[in-house]
Amino acid sequence: MVSNSNINNVKTKTIGEIFSKDPKIICRNVDVFYGEKQAIKDVSIDIASREIISFIGPSGCGKSTFLRCLNRMNDTIDTCKVKGSISLDKEDIYDEKIDVVTLRAKIGMVFQKPNPFPKSIYENVAYGPKIHGLSSSKEELDFIVENSLKDSGLWEEVKDRLQSPGTGLSGGQQQRLCIARAIAVSPEIILMDEPCSALDPIATAKIEELINQLGKNYSIVIVTHSMQQAARISQRTAYFHLGELIEVGETKKIFTMPKDKQTEAYISGRIG
Amino acid sequence: MNKNNSKMLTADEASKIVASSVIRRRKKDARLKTYGRIAIGLAVSFLIFLFVSIFSKGIPGFFQYYVTLDVYLDRDRLDPKGDLSPESLYNGDARSIVLESLYKVINPKGRKEKKAAKKIISSNADVRISKMVLDNSKILGKTISITFAVDDDIDSFLRGYIKRETPSSERRINDTVIKFVDKLSAENRISYKFSDYILTGSASRSPEIAGIKGAFIGSMLTLAVCFIIAFPLGVATAVYLEEFAPKNRITEIIEVNINNLAAVPSVVFGILGLAIFIGVFGMPRSIPLLGGMVLALMTLPTIIISSRAAIRAVPPSIKDAAYGIGASKLQTIFHHVLPLAMPGMLTGTIIGMAQALGETAPLLMIGMVAFIVDIPGGVTDPGTVLPVQIFMWADFAERMFIQKTSSAIIVLLVFLIFMNAAAVILRKKLERRW
Ligand SMILES: Nc1ncnc2c1ncn2[C@@H]1O[C@H](COP(=O)(O)OP(=O)(O)O)[C@@H](O)[C@H]1O
Ligand SMILES: [Mg+2]
Repeated sequence: MVSNSNINNVKTKTIGEIFSKDPKIICRNVDVFYGEKQAIKDVSIDIASREIISFIGPSGCGKSTFLRCLNRMNDTIDTCKVKGSISLDKEDIYDEKIDVVTLRAKIGMVFQKPNPFPKSIYENVAYGPKIHGLSSSKEELDFIVENSLKDSGLWEEVKDRLQSPGTGLSGGQQQRLCIARAIAVSPEIILMDEPCSALDPIATAKIEELINQLGKNYSIVIVTHSMQQAARISQRTAYFHLGELIEVGETKKIFTMPKDKQTEAYISGRIG
Repeated sequence: MNKNNSKMLTADEASKIVASSVIRRRKKDARLKTYGRIAIGLAVSFLIFLFVSIFSKGIPGFFQYYVTLDVYLDRDRLDPKGDLSPESLYNGDARSIVLESLYKVINPKGRKEKKAAKKIISSNADVRISKMVLDNSKILGKTISITFAVDDDIDSFLRGYIKRETPSSERRINDTVIKFVDKLSAENRISYKFSDYILTGSASRSPEIAGIKGAFIGSMLTLAVCFIIAFPLGVATAVYLEEFAPKNRITEIIEVNINNLAAVPSVVFGILGLAIFIGVFGMPRSIPLLGGMVLALMTLPTIIISSRAAIRAVPPSIKDAAYGIGASKLQTIFHHVLPLAMPGMLTGTIIGMAQALGETAPLLMIGMVAFIVDIPGGVTDPGTVLPVQIFMWADFAERMFIQKTSSAIIVLLVFLIFMNAAAVILRKKLERRW
């Protein structure tokens, strides 16, 4: 447990507003190491309920690494060690008592490259609810699948071919299928790691619209290399550089009047 | 550096030099291509030679000569106890009954001619009659025409391997026998047809009735044991090494040793089996269970290596997807990794099994070379396997065994081709998955 007395009383070099009034996730002094190499240095940030926050920064700065800390996906990498504290609803997610399985059911994830299972569209969406036992009957499962596909805007396109393989869809459809798969287990937070980087502009526009929709019900953390995208969809933006969180703030402010020189250099295109 | 009279070439000079070197390089290319073609040509012609020689020898091995006789099935003499039991029929006089019907056709005079006549029909003729009676006792007391395999020397004579022109003293059959065979031919009683014995008979000292059924069943039982042991063990090992094992010195040593194990000569596994399974655990020799266990030791490295490759070939993004949605490690492995890796693992397993199917040396070590007439009914009955049967037949002097050796090789080859084709089809399937 993270006691309330010290969470907003943290030493940080980060410029801007790292705190939020209604925090869902609270990260304090997070360091991440791959073996000897430190990929994340002393990052502290809050993620609020029902906000869309984007992580931007030059590639290799640790955006994905930090994102993957939030649902403990880094556990799957042997060399990766996480220090500091990250809590979800004031409960330390790296506590021994926490089961990663339930954690990841609460925090869904969408990856850079669309990665549907090589199974049917139906199976792709139904898999999560099945393993977590969210439905007790076929009808319930069908209902969940249909709703998830509707929420991800894919239902109309695939309702007649739910049994055909998910890998047969177009890239954009596959990514929306992956989003449907993530929301099928009713998560509270969705993490997205450059979800549009493998898609064409039209598919990207659809996903962005979808993210805007989903932002009403979920907290969404999205890593993006496109500053326009961050500007279009997120309420808050965090700028990472070489493993450090340089600046956080309202997206509008970050893009119009960044306080930090490095942030300014990045958004004006001087750091790639 | 460029002290002594070296200077840059002009473009013209350079292009001339390049042009001449291009010709040289082209020639080299052409030569290499020719060598390659010659090598492939040689390999293909060896293969063709092998196949032609095996098939030309082996196909006739599936056929043999028969003689048709009208046999009076005397009830009292065939079934002395009158209860139609196998023992009663065994004590019966089937052999003389067959010979008598033969004498009726060829009329041998005197003891010498009768002795010669006895050489014509396979010694198995009485068994054939007993079997027919056991199958259908209504034929007792009737005269029916039955075809019997001729003795292997007669078969060889009819095929022309034993020549009429050879002096009688150097032939395996004398003039009297030839006279009788001619007479049977003249009466149209000799026929050449698909062998009743090659596929359904078991090992025998008489080549005309020897078949591969015993060895075939032995092979299948051995392979079944091998698969049941090696596949789960191999897959489990592969999964552990790929997904669970910590990356440290010990696992490294294990990995290196598994790879080394794949290169160990198979006969060593035979010795291992002899020492451990027979020596320490006191298992009986010659049984398919033991053979399968030894072959499992041998195929295990192949299965482990190919299974690991198959598991590694599963895209990490699929694992990420499963973990990301909250699947446990076990669920990820069983729901996603193993199904996707299965074709690859099965391919490796089939290739390993094909190796095991053709393996002879380790089985010789554990006594599966014994002469066993009975067809094994289970994994604990003594038996032999196809390649060992081939090995044994190839060693026999009788002409007919040479054909049967090639026939058995054909059966083995057909099986190997079948298994390898299955492996190729599976691999094609694997490629289509994502
Ligand atoms: N599995 C890994 N093992 C070792 N180093 C890694 C691993 N993944 C990422 N890194 C390193 O960590 C740093 C941050 O990477 P990443 O989080 O992927 O950056 P970003 O997503 O911002 O491009 C990089 O220097 C990268 O080389
Ligand atoms: Mg990244």
